[in-house]
Amino acid sequence: MKKADIGVGIGLIIISTWIFWYASEYSKATIYYYGPNFFPQFLAIAMCICAIILILNAVRGKSLARSDRIHLKGFIRMVIAIAICIGYLFLMQAIGFAMGTSAFLYVLMMFIGQQGQVKRITSSIAVSLIVWAIFRYFLIIPLPTGMFAFTF
Amino acid sequence: MDFTLLAAAFSTVMLTPINFIFVFIGITAGIIVGALPGLTATMGCALLIPFTFGLPPIQGLLMLIGIFCGGIYGGSISGILIRTPGTPAAAATLLDGYPLSQKGLAGKAIGIGTVASFVGGTTGAVIMTFLSPQIAKIGLKFGPPEFCSLAIFGLGMIITISGRSILKGIMAAIFGLMITVIGFDPLSGVPRFTFGSQNLLGGVTFIPALIGLFGYAQVFRNIEKITTLPPVESKVEKILPKISEITSNLKTMFKSAVMGTFIGSIPGTGCDVAAFITYGEAKRSSKHPEKFGTGILEGVAAPEAGNNAATGGAMIPMLTLGVPGDAVTAVLLGALTIHGLQPGPMLFRDHLDVIYPIFAGMIMAQFILLIVGLSGARVFAKLITVDRRILTPVIFFLCVVGSYAMRFSFFDVGLSLVIGVIAYFMEYYDYPVSPILLALILGPMAEQNLRRSLIISHGDPSVFFTRPISAAFILLAVAVIISSYYRIKKTAQREQQSALIESGTNHEA
Repeated sequence: MKKADIGVGIGLIIISTWIFWYASEYSKATIYYYGPNFFPQFLAIAMCICAIILILNAVRGKSLARSDRIHLKGFIRMVIAIAICIGYLFLMQAIGFAMGTSAFLYVLMMFIGQQGQVKRITSSIAVSLIVWAIFRYFLIIPLPTGMFAFTF
Repeated sequence: MDFTLLAAAFSTVMLTPINFIFVFIGITAGIIVGALPGLTATMGCALLIPFTFGLPPIQGLLMLIGIFCGGIYGGSISGILIRTPGTPAAAATLLDGYPLSQKGLAGKAIGIGTVASFVGGTTGAVIMTFLSPQIAKIGLKFGPPEFCSLAIFGLGMIITISGRSILKGIMAAIFGLMITVIGFDPLSGVPRFTFGSQNLLGGVTFIPALIGLFGYAQVFRNIEKITTLPPVESKVEKILPKISEITSNLKTMFKSAVMGTFIGSIPGTGCDVAAFITYGEAKRSSKHPEKFGTGILEGVAAPEAGNNAATGGAMIPMLTLGVPGDAVTAVLLGALTIHGLQPGPMLFRDHLDVIYPIFAGMIMAQFILLIVGLSGARVFAKLITVDRRILTPVIFFLCVVGSYAMRFSFFDVGLSLVIGVIAYFMEYYDYPVSPILLALILGPMAEQNLRRSLIISHGDPSVFFTRPISAAFILLAVAVIISSYYRIKKTAQREQQSALIESGTNHEA
């Protein structure tokens, strides 16, 4: 994990420096000595020190061995799943919560390899309707209705 | 302790069927979440908090308490049946639970585990009920320096949940503290790091952050590994244990329960630590320690009583001082604030109408857990076998709903997704996410009181060391940090040695 530690360390030093500089603007906003800039700047310094120690440890060969690795295929699957979710957020606003959710669940189940067509259809419709009903009638929390404002 | 209020709370909770139903729903949902490997009690509470938004505080909190207790208990079911603990707290239970299952005694192991959970949970809840008001009385004397030192003590506990690297645990905590500075400054009202976004003026909302850290991150891991996870099979026979089997383990149960409560009450330790310590103590004090690990009921009773007792213990610092005992109580603390209640000593002064029903509900939850656990074990065992390809999308969807429902905001869903992606990568690079959660809770408390104290003392930091309670908290924090540092170092050395021995053996072979 040596390279990762050095990379993360450098990234955090840059971010901390930026936070320190950005927060210094807040000192002009109040009359307090311990004003709104104090805590963020304190944290930026602390993070910077930790990042330097992380880099030093990595350079001295004291980085931890990796306990697990990201599998590329699995990672791509995860990214596509997030993309499906983002699509779902737009779809939900267009066609309503329950219908959008049913479609999302069905597509995601199919994407990750659920084989049974009947299982996919019944579980996606059942889950979306149950949660929709709980929010709408029991908790009385409004959910997006989309173009079908009369029901879902 | 006001017994009149406690009696009134019992009658409110027990004689109102709706309260009873919410505890029942919470316990059942908690057991299901706990029993499913990969879903922790923390995640269960995080996902189900949105379902309590529309409820009155008492009912919502009773449901969450049910999820907490049920989740910790539920983890043992998968631990016993498939050698995969549903929650970290059940890791000690499988040491004897799984061998019992291999002998065809899975039902008996679940049965004795349920009774032990009941004994542990009830003991923990009773101790919590009687001890909390006394601690809160001390808490009422706190000023800004004490609260700041208390927050430092709580943050010091991060070391104990830092996993393999203390440095990375501290960095995760600082990252969490950085998140807390987003939004209006509590003292001056200046908006910080909002970049002109109206959505960030109130800060990063707790629930979406929580769902990102514990919900999305787990879903992403499940999706990534979905093709490599093996299918699950489970079978349960007779569950009800014999009276003689219960009585012969009662001493172990009560001893573990008392130990578990006090271990759980130390911030940062949690139910998993309580389970391992009580298992170790049961083995040490047993007449036949050599039988531990081969499948004996005592080896299931001790950790189950210990980890369930720790639920009550972990609630003590959360309710009385506003410092969560572990990750789940941190979530519960967030839930209390969502319902308009600020955990801490003031809660015992201003909201006795809520506190006593929580005590009563916690005790009642144990009885419901016993009934649901014994009668539904077969069903829960079946649920473990639910297809992950159906379950994972459903949890993904619950994460979306949960992060949306807090403010009906798609911005929160996006924010939650981003935090989930960050948490996903963090875990791969050995940065623990639990310190972020603690930092989100304790950050505002630390900042406000640190600045207030320094303003009052005209910038003199000795104010934290000259006041006895404040100094005591700082000393405790230092002691915990040092002892944890040596413990983690020792564990790492042991791991290194065993890895060397293993590589040597492989080389010889």
